[in-house]
Amino acid sequence: MADNFSPDSEPTTRTLLRRVLDTADPRTPRRARSTRSGAQRDLLETPSTRRQRSQTKMTARRRSHTAASVDRLARVQASGHLEEQTPRTLLKNIILTAPESSIVKPEAVVKLVPSPQVVQPSRRESSRGSLELQLPELEPPTTLAPGLLAPGRRKQRLRLSEFQQGMDWGHLSQEPRENADASSLTSSLNLTFAMPLQPQSVKRPGLARRPPTRRVVDVGTFLQDLRDTSLAVAPPGESHRTPVATVPTDTVLEDTQPFSQPLAGHSPSVHHSLPCPSPSGAKEVEGPASRRTWSSGPGLQNNHSGPGKPAQLLARKVEEVEALAVGFPNISSISGEDGVEPLQNGVGEEAEESMEKSMSVREVEKAAEEQGSARAEEPEGHTEVAEAAGSLGAIEAKEPEGSSEDEDPSASPKLAPSTPEFLRTRRLQSPEPAPPPSTAVLPSELPKRLSARIPPRPRIPGSRPRQDPYKAGLNHYAKLFSFYAKMPMEKKAVEMVEKCLDKYFQHLCDDLEVFAAHAGRKTVSPEDLELLLRRQGLVTDQVSLHVLVERHLPLEYRQLLIPCAFSGNSVFPTQ
Amino acid sequence: MTEEEEWSEEQQSFSYRQRLKAAVHYTVGCLCEEVSSDKDMQFSKQTIAAISEVTFGQCENFAKDLEMFARHAKRSTVNTEDVKLLARRSHSLLKYITEKNEDIAQLNLERKAKKKKKLEDENRNSVELAEAGVEESEN
Repeated sequence: MADNFSPDSEPTTRTLLRRVLDTADPRTPRRARSTRSGAQRDLLETPSTRRQRSQTKMTARRRSHTAASVDRLARVQASGHLEEQTPRTLLKNIILTAPESSIVKPEAVVKLVPSPQVVQPSRRESSRGSLELQLPELEPPTTLAPGLLAPGRRKQRLRLSEFQQGMDWGHLSQEPRENADASSLTSSLNLTFAMPLQPQSVKRPGLARRPPTRRVVDVGTFLQDLRDTSLAVAPPGESHRTPVATVPTDTVLEDTQPFSQPLAGHSPSVHHSLPCPSPSGAKEVEGPASRRTWSSGPGLQNNHSGPGKPAQLLARKVEEVEALAVGFPNISSISGEDGVEPLQNGVGEEAEESMEKSMSVREVEKAAEEQGSARAEEPEGHTEVAEAAGSLGAIEAKEPEGSSEDEDPSASPKLAPSTPEFLRTRRLQSPEPAPPPSTAVLPSELPKRLSARIPPRPRIPGSRPRQDPYKAGLNHYAKLFSFYAKMPMEKKAVEMVEKCLDKYFQHLCDDLEVFAAHAGRKTVSPEDLELLLRRQGLVTDQVSLHVLVERHLPLEYRQLLIPCAFSGNSVFPTQ
Repeated sequence: MTEEEEWSEEQQSFSYRQRLKAAVHYTVGCLCEEVSSDKDMQFSKQTIAAISEVTFGQCENFAKDLEMFARHAKRSTVNTEDVKLLARRSHSLLKYITEKNEDIAQLNLERKAKKKKKLEDENRNSVELAEAGVEESEN
């Protein structure tokens, strides 16, 4: 029988294991079960005879694999009972149930699966108990193969076929099942089912594409939410944009007071709060006209998606989208590419953050084991995602046009594209009045909205020198402090700690600067740091700086900082 | 023998420190008396002792820091720059020290100027004398 697995170009572990298992056929489990299955034996025998006869590689492989798949299933059924579990049987189950997507054509396995099912309903039911997972609650199979809703063994085979069908059709139904598998670890055999799902997803290109697109899609859903909120499209806000646009960029950029001025202030605050490069997600935001066209359909679908959690997700997205939308027109009013890039970065960053939030929510959903409702929601969410991805692709095609428009230094073309989005968000609250009152309304609304939304995310690193990245670092240290305190800390206490850390680091850096100047240098060198540490008492005549570096810093820094380490055994005395 | 020497050295250094501490204590006491007569406020002895101990410890720290700063600037002599670096913490002290430094610098300049003048005068005098002598001799 080992000959049937004619030597592959790559002897994988799978093939090796199979050979081992096939060559050393177990005695008891098969024979014990073989008495029950007459029909199955017939099936087994015929493929085995086919196996023995086949000569060519491909046919041998195919037949052997198809036969082997039947064999595997039979063996799985045969060795189903927990009491007879041995490592051998476990391995067998692993091999049997893990489809070889690299070698076997999916149709071959699919074809074989339904046929044995018809023949052996009784056997499956008899030995279904141990290998049956919590499959009855799985509803997604209904979308794929409504006719194959047989219990027990059928479900196992169903899942294999459904997976492959699903992969061909690009459905994400596998994932809820994966989570079901992961969650229902009632027996060790269940583990075997959990495992094959992952290699499948890796090997199947359709599934492998899924996670990356999700990111992009979330921004797309943002855009759709934007469109949802926009009831009508009108360009009235341009008039009030011009004064903002004429504000010189220098003053705008230098304004470090968040939310101090109505519009001009907000543009730098949002501008600066937008983070570092991730141009992919953000360019989508730029094209306004394209967005208008994609208004209703996916947006409506998003809104009507499902109860509870997806609605919450979307609500959150809508909020963030509004924040982004509010930011966009402000930023676009700033001339030049600087506005574009932080905008893009901001969108990307916030998109990622919101995506993370949405992902975390989804994970929570999955973990909560609300199988019926949750899984019903998830496929819907996934279908939305799929459609949004389609629309997003078209948007991206139009985005470069929009961005090139925005990069035009003149104010008015920017204003025209940007204002509709801005106003679209405003439509939610107030149906559009005449432009002048809207201009009055907008500045007052802007500060509230931005102040409500952006402080919750202080960690967005930005071009602002002091506030955001600085506070991000301080936040980190304050959290470390509260961790080591081993007690819950009041917010005021955390703030005080942050203030003290702020002063401490300021002082430290001033010292370093002064030390460098003292030595007649303009650059801070390790000597200055050594002096600082010496003053603090950390470096003494017994303990040198290198000792501290070795003690506390990770290994990579040691190679950077200690000359003996990076000199490569050629050390010369200083002269 | 060496142990005895070391021990005696230690004793000597210890007694030296004690004397220094006593001197500091005395000075602190005098200053506190002045302040108390100024502000009409009494100083307890423990306070004066505490202040003198702290002062002594700070003096040690200052000395070490000054030496470190001088070494950092690759000098072997402690400079006014080192002192200024030391005093940068308190603004008033730094101001005071910089003013004093400027005064001293000015004094030095003036002294140098005076010395130069003196030298020049002497030179002129000597030249004149020489000329006078020459003239006289010629005459």
